[in-house]
Amino acid sequence: MAELALACKAAIAVLLVAAGGAKIADLAGFAATVRLFLPGFLPGFLSGFLPARTAQALPRMVAATIAVAESAIGAASLSSPLVGWLNLVVLALCSGFVVVAVIGYLRHPGRACRCFGALSGRAFNLAAIGRAALIAAAAVVAATPVSGSLLRLGAAGRLGLLAGAALIAWCAYTAASTIGAGRDAQPGWVP
Amino acid sequence: MIRIPVYLFVAQWALLAALGVLVVIVYRQLGRLLAGRGEATDLGPAVGSAAAALTYLRPGEQKERRLVPGDGQPLLVAFADPTCPSCEELVGTLGAMAAAGETAGLRTLVLISDPPSYLQISDVFSATELEIGRPARRDGLDPYRVSATPLLVAIDAAGVVRAAGSVISAAEVRAFARSCMLPAPAAALATIPASRSQDATSRGENAT
Repeated sequence: MAELALACKAAIAVLLVAAGGAKIADLAGFAATVRLFLPGFLPGFLSGFLPARTAQALPRMVAATIAVAESAIGAASLSSPLVGWLNLVVLALCSGFVVVAVIGYLRHPGRACRCFGALSGRAFNLAAIGRAALIAAAAVVAATPVSGSLLRLGAAGRLGLLAGAALIAWCAYTAASTIGAGRDAQPGWVP
Repeated sequence: MIRIPVYLFVAQWALLAALGVLVVIVYRQLGRLLAGRGEATDLGPAVGSAAAALTYLRPGEQKERRLVPGDGQPLLVAFADPTCPSCEELVGTLGAMAAAGETAGLRTLVLISDPPSYLQISDVFSATELEIGRPARRDGLDPYRVSATPLLVAIDAAGVVRAAGSVISAAEVRAFARSCMLPAPAAALATIPASRSQDATSRGENAT
């Protein structure tokens, strides 16, 4: 059971790092998805006391914050396994994915999720809810207490994992950029 | 003997697996690019073919409107969605060209698949002066082969498709606009291969 918890923890952390890196590569696309979830009145409301350009850039800022936070939480969880509260943060984030998948399916079925930027063309559907639930379940397993002796890492080990996380984020960014460059068109158009 | 902590061992394998997946993704994409084919090779109607008529609804209207190519007016039909960033660029370009009078004598129609309520989430779509509609039914839509967005189709006054492809930049859109405003002999059109966006652009520029 302890090995399973460790595997889930590492897998989710790596997943978050890769997803964050890929989202950063396609911020405009992910911002379009973010706009689906922002209340319609918000831009107008904010433009009342913010410069118009700032209010218009809100979805992009939210998208950038989510992408960077995802990568940072993933990297921290991967390289600092002894920090218990990070497991809860990851669990909360993964639960958030389930909520977003359900709302996306109910309110915007068939629209692009862009959960992995240009790496994935998947949309909000039942399968997306299933995948999000699976990730959340893995996060629950990862949050189960494990003997500290299994998690203990030296400074070199932690640094190595942090470097590995940075490498994965960079590779995901590059892969998503490459795909995005070759695909200006967004697949699918179903009236 | 060196002992590796269990977590380090597991985490390294997770990193390696993710790296492997990403390498495969990049390798596949590289293969596609080297093979000269994008994601949407079957995008758009064949150049030289007769454009099909369409029925559509304007946002907030119940009355169906009919787009009949070949009624003497050149057409630019953009298939685009407010949730697609590249589509926003295309609609912005078309809007700027219309405002500058570059598309005078040309009818421009933006067809969306998203519900009309989605127009509000895009600053470009909500502010555009271009005519926007949503297909009322699938009749007549299949020949357009809208497998991805944005898709711009240039149709001349005789109702013949002169260029089609996923274009965004002002230069490409101008080339499309020129292509459908110039008369061309049917024989010359028949020799033009139907292919992807870049080809469509050059077709537009050369179809004189």
